[in-house]
Amino acid sequence: MWVDEAIWGHRLYDEQLPWFVFLEFLNVFTHEDDKGRAFDEQGKPNELKYRAAHRLYLRNILFNNPHLPEIRLSYPSDSNRWDEWMRRMKSAATGLNHPEFGFLKDHFHSFDDFCEVASLVRSTSLEVNSNKRWTSKFVFPYGRDCLYEDLDNNASTNDRRFFGRTGELLYLMLCRTHCKRELMAALKGRLAKADKTWNSVIRCLQPTSDEDMSNERANAFLPYANHPCFDDLADDWLATLRLNIPGFDVFPHLVNLAGLHLLKYQLSVSRQLLGLSTPLNLLCEMVAPKKTLVREVSCDLYQSNNLLPAQAVETFITNIEQSDDWQRAIAESGAFEKCRRILKEKARWGEDYDGSSDAGELISRLRQDAMKRHRQHVANIHRNYGREIGLVSKRGTVKLRYAPTDALLKTLLFANVEKRIELHQFLARLHFRYGLVFGDKEAEQVLSKDEFDKKAFQGNSRRLEQRLGSLGLLRRLSDGCAYVVNPHHAEV
Amino acid sequence: MSHWLRFLRHYGPVPRNDNMYDETIQRSAHRQGIAPIEFEHPYQHLIADSFGRVTADPVSVILTGTAGDGKTHLCRQVWKALKGSEDDWASDNPYLTIRFNYPKDRTTWPESEEPSLYRSVKIHFIRDLSGWAPQQGADWDVDKEVLLQKFCQTLFNPNAEEIFLIAANDGQLVESFRRLKDTEEVRRARQVFEDLLVEDQQEQPGVRLKFFNLSRASSAELFDRAIEKFLAHPGWDELKQRVPGESDVFGLNCPIRRNYELLCTPLVQARLRALLELCDYNGLHVPVRQILLLLTNAVLGHPDVGQHLMLPSDVPKVIAAGTASRACLYNNIFGANLSDIRRQSVTIFDFLERFQIGYETSNRIDNLLIFGEDDENLGVYFDTLIEKDKFCGADDRFYAAKHEYIEGTSEDEEKDNEFLRMLVAQRRGLFFKIPKEAEFELNLWELTVFRFAGEYLDEVVDVLRRGAVVKRPLVSRLVKGLNRVFTGMLINSDRELYLATSGNYSQAKVSRILVERVSVEPSKGEKVILRFDPASGRVLLSVFFAPDNSVDFNLTLIRYEFLSRIAMEGALPASFSKECYEDLLAFKSRLIAAYSKRQAQEEAPPSLTISLTLLSLTKQGNPDPRAVEIVP
Repeated sequence: MWVDEAIWGHRLYDEQLPWFVFLEFLNVFTHEDDKGRAFDEQGKPNELKYRAAHRLYLRNILFNNPHLPEIRLSYPSDSNRWDEWMRRMKSAATGLNHPEFGFLKDHFHSFDDFCEVASLVRSTSLEVNSNKRWTSKFVFPYGRDCLYEDLDNNASTNDRRFFGRTGELLYLMLCRTHCKRELMAALKGRLAKADKTWNSVIRCLQPTSDEDMSNERANAFLPYANHPCFDDLADDWLATLRLNIPGFDVFPHLVNLAGLHLLKYQLSVSRQLLGLSTPLNLLCEMVAPKKTLVREVSCDLYQSNNLLPAQAVETFITNIEQSDDWQRAIAESGAFEKCRRILKEKARWGEDYDGSSDAGELISRLRQDAMKRHRQHVANIHRNYGREIGLVSKRGTVKLRYAPTDALLKTLLFANVEKRIELHQFLARLHFRYGLVFGDKEAEQVLSKDEFDKKAFQGNSRRLEQRLGSLGLLRRLSDGCAYVVNPHHAEV
Repeated sequence: MSHWLRFLRHYGPVPRNDNMYDETIQRSAHRQGIAPIEFEHPYQHLIADSFGRVTADPVSVILTGTAGDGKTHLCRQVWKALKGSEDDWASDNPYLTIRFNYPKDRTTWPESEEPSLYRSVKIHFIRDLSGWAPQQGADWDVDKEVLLQKFCQTLFNPNAEEIFLIAANDGQLVESFRRLKDTEEVRRARQVFEDLLVEDQQEQPGVRLKFFNLSRASSAELFDRAIEKFLAHPGWDELKQRVPGESDVFGLNCPIRRNYELLCTPLVQARLRALLELCDYNGLHVPVRQILLLLTNAVLGHPDVGQHLMLPSDVPKVIAAGTASRACLYNNIFGANLSDIRRQSVTIFDFLERFQIGYETSNRIDNLLIFGEDDENLGVYFDTLIEKDKFCGADDRFYAAKHEYIEGTSEDEEKDNEFLRMLVAQRRGLFFKIPKEAEFELNLWELTVFRFAGEYLDEVVDVLRRGAVVKRPLVSRLVKGLNRVFTGMLINSDRELYLATSGNYSQAKVSRILVERVSVEPSKGEKVILRFDPASGRVLLSVFFAPDNSVDFNLTLIRYEFLSRIAMEGALPASFSKECYEDLLAFKSRLIAAYSKRQAQEEAPPSLTISLTLLSLTKQGNPDPRAVEIVP
């Protein structure tokens, strides 16, 4: 079936959370950059082909190796420790043809040093404390020697469990933006400038000859040649990359932004398909101690936004049904087969259909199947990504609504404030660019009279102001005048 | 009947038109023939000099600050000094002009009065920009817009013949100029204002402007000046000279008189001043108007009378009703005579509330209040501080409620609450009554959220202002607090500052990779010191990596408290931990950047190995660094 994919691309996948999207993206970007064609589809859209590394030595050492503390305790001498550990790894290491860990001795003076470094690297890894399989745990992307793809339980191939191509979509989006050249320069500059120490340390945990690469990964698909959401994403990444943020601190912000824009992309495309002309609104509550009107409205808006993708799927199918082709087909003889052909072409569906030979029944089955499939993964992007990046939360209540965390506020500020702007301009900008609503001015524009309560929203923006103040990102001068300040502003 | 007390009410928390505050006071003073409370603003000299004979080439001046900082008042002083007519000033017109002669030679003021040596400079007074500029959403009058455009031009024209004096709240200043038509000069001017405001400067090279932000004046200094004139006002003497009877206005039992006399005591003044000074060190500025409001409310406040401020006619009624003690100064200082909503809307009461005086306490204080009467150690204190204080101390109601509370005979929660409310009032009283000698023994500052506030003022601020050195154990404690935040471990080291990272994220909670240790005692250019910056009036914690490479951290009261508590207790008071924590991580980032800068200057040979120092702690909490070497 090709319904969600036709609307949003192949594909948005809810189990691939933004950090994993970013990691998959880095794999693609690095590969394409090595080939000299980063962010360049070379006139052939959707033909991306790349390979990703596996780095199974590294991953076995870090994530499939519970022996280190015990060996340190039970074996007194350094050589005994090495021997015992290598003996165990020979049988326990997975996915390697001839596991041979002797190279480690060239890099570490003692087994203890090796253990310390392994535990340190593990402490900064991603998903290290989750119960994900060991092949879905990732080293922090310190450099190119840290990049690899997600693998199945046998560590043999990418089963698309957590690398579900959303990173590929992200890559394609950035290929199709107006500022891709600047972005490429900024991203490469940032990666090149990063402290090399950690990448070198990670390299020491791999043999020099480990060049196990995946087969060619292909079939990523993004249906739009350009889209305002792509440009917004690229603008935000660019602004953030240009800041003076130390070391690797910039990555979490890029991840948040990727998550936010993917979420926004899904909702915006849904709204386009539904023919809604009003802009998207994400009305945010700055968490208040008590229930407020803002919370109520935010809950409602969250609910209605959450339904948009499913409605888009419905509309997509209805559009097929109302198309001239379809209408002509049902009026002609052999209607069923003709309709079936239309669905095969438009939705890649119908091969296994075993119901009655009735065009109406056929399309209603498609509708059922499509909705069922949609609900499994694609429908959850708004909720899962929203929660993961800190936009959506249940804090203080049982219902989900938009209630941004401090971390997300920081990300938004870094992407939107070059040096400093007045608070109300900042709020206006967040509304204009993302549909985020905090203050009374913006709320008044988007809410009906009976939903709008000036005081409630003034309180909301006051709480935002306090949050920003306590994060050190706001300079209040006196009544009615506060500046939002970006401490990482790069003096040119 | 006393005109003075009636007049004094104008300074109190009564509803009024804030834009016309100075005018209202002046007019009413004039009408009633009473001298208003006037004192010299700390900036008055500087501002007067900008127009006086000290300056041969005057430039435009902007007076900004928050409502009640005395902008209009200072404008009036300049107007008077330039011989402007009082009638003009008394008009409602927010825009006035005057001409004044300055020397043609813009460098010096000539000896001779010869007219040809002088040029006439037109000075435009916009004494209230917000009253003069159009309402939000409305368009500028053409004339006004032309005038402000001209103002922007004069800022950048060294030969300008006209200057301006503009008074405006900072918010309105920015807002008004944003609404002007965009010309090159307006854009430049806007940027200048923003920079001066946000970066706390008075001038910028090449710009003919002096910028005074009155919100940067010290609240404690304003308080000193205000209370002196407040208490010395002849109105009080007049009241006394009438030799009133016991229950008359300003008689012996009059709460206004008692409050006035309490306010005259050095101890009350010192404690009040300390609170304002601490506001300064927390970055909270208290404007002049709020200080006068505080003093007026402290003396006249009573919860049961009209507008919660006593009029002369209220006094006999209050005394007859036996509620004089409800006018107690100690409670009035915190605005307890006002309704919750009213109190919360007044800046000074909002600030003072943050100390939580009355609600914070220690076992010792509560033992004193509840069981102190018969206690052999605390009995003396109970006697002098509570029992003997016939105005605000223990009265029959207090003893009865206390008895009820201790014996617990009643199930009535309301009665217990009543006693708890009394305790709040008594703790507030204690804050102003515990003498300096007993401060330590009774843990005075535990009556506030800032337990280290007394130490901060006495042993840090005062010591540094005198040019002396802060005691070693205090610095050590701060360093220990810093180390605990920087490493995320309960480290006990205080001789060196430990800079550590987690490897990938500079803001990580736990940082195990040791980057550098900086010696606290001066050693090879490294040191950690506390110092006072007279320009900003701040206490700074400075970390030196080399004599010319250091990083300053504004050691506000709240940060001092935070670091001290982390060092002593390890745990963080949740209420203010987040903000300080973020600030400290940002400070760490700056320290690491400064360290990198120093290392970049070292010409170390390229290393063949990667060395890491991993930090862990011994059981005693001492750092146990371990070097690990990796051969790439």
